[in-house]
Amino acid sequence: MTLRLGRHEFADDETLMMAIVNRTPDSFYDRGATYAEDAAFERVEKVVADGAEIVDIGGVRAGYGPAVSAEEEIGRVASFVGRVRAAYPGLVISVDTWRSEVARAVCGEGADVLNDAWGGHDPALMDVAAEFDAAVICTHTGGLKPRTDPYRIEYDDVVRSAIDATLALAERALAAGVARESIVIDPAHDFAKNTFHSLEVTRRLGEMVATGWPVLVSLSNKDFVGETLDLPAKERLTGTLAATAVCALAGARIYRVHEVVETRQTVDMVSSIAGRRPPQRAIRGLQ
Amino acid sequence: MTPGTPVSSKVVLVPPVLAFLPDYAGLTDPVAELRAVALEAVGWLGADVTVLGDDQAQRVAAHLLASTTRTGSEPSYLVMGNGSARRTDASPGPYDERAVPFDDELGRALRDGDSEALAAVDAELARELWATTGPISEFARLSSISRAEVDYDDAPFGVQYWVVRWLCGS
Repeated sequence: MTLRLGRHEFADDETLMMAIVNRTPDSFYDRGATYAEDAAFERVEKVVADGAEIVDIGGVRAGYGPAVSAEEEIGRVASFVGRVRAAYPGLVISVDTWRSEVARAVCGEGADVLNDAWGGHDPALMDVAAEFDAAVICTHTGGLKPRTDPYRIEYDDVVRSAIDATLALAERALAAGVARESIVIDPAHDFAKNTFHSLEVTRRLGEMVATGWPVLVSLSNKDFVGETLDLPAKERLTGTLAATAVCALAGARIYRVHEVVETRQTVDMVSSIAGRRPPQRAIRGLQ
Repeated sequence: MTPGTPVSSKVVLVPPVLAFLPDYAGLTDPVAELRAVALEAVGWLGADVTVLGDDQAQRVAAHLLASTTRTGSEPSYLVMGNGSARRTDASPGPYDERAVPFDDELGRALRDGDSEALAAVDAELARELWATTGPISEFARLSSISRAEVDYDDAPFGVQYWVVRWLCGS
């Protein structure tokens, strides 16, 4: 099925790079480097030049930190979405938020995707997506409230839990009126998961792909990579790309990333190995 | 083909480049220009075409023929051949200093429609130089060329390619 993200359509065999753009002072990887609006806009310019099809704009750090009100979050992201929309009509704009009032504000500014990274915490968010014909990302967060780290969470089967939860959200989105071709599922690595859970979700990602819903993976420099290799945030690219390759082989469609170029090359290479993408240009031995 | 081919027969020489085949298509076509010239020449042939070349070349020829719409009842031949693949350090085969002179002489004979020279190409030297000339000589031995037109003459990957159209008599 063709994937439709707002006004943008993508064929079945297309993989998409979703570049992270934080309008936050405290996100774990960039530490506020793009908190200022102009710095965030420069980040958008860079990732577009790097080939990202999607930007995922966030105004609240996923982890613990100072409370950010809905008004403050709207102030960080809504007008910025409008600025990016005006500058890049062909770019898919996603906003990482769990709040329906924020969703309404950013959709009014031209956002195409609502990345509901806290898994349906605010049920009204789906209604906003339907009202604006936006796409939604349905994520597995194990029932945790927003901005909560996992603590002694265990699952009988973490993949089964991720599938059940994201498909339930997908059904809720459908019932709210979101278009079927505009619903994406995300197992949400590290969210409500210890490192063993995230590794298992990666290893068994094909089971999520087999549901038929397009799968987004957000792996970039996360703690499960850091713990697996015992490396700090800035030294996790190789591990991230290894996990990316496994997810690409399984058939993930959207990759939420810090490093666009490296991830694109990894995904393209794996897609070609899998026989889903021809080589860019092949002449060796064929002259 | 038998001796005594009618004067009006049409003949095209193209190289049996595997990159022409859809099985080996990348996102970007490395032989786009050669392909366009080859298809235009093949499209000039009549409806029924006899192909000269080995099994691999027959597959390439079949694809080119299937990619064109041709009319006309003139006897038509598609000759699958090329020059040396040992011309430079970037060639598929190891560099051989005899390659470029060999190609120069072969190119002259193709341009001039010199059937005698084409029929007499040194098959052993051609083999050593990774040149595919057997079908060219086979055709030249059986026909005389009355007019020759070279549409393509280049070696973009270290292999000498020509696309040539001939009108032939017996």
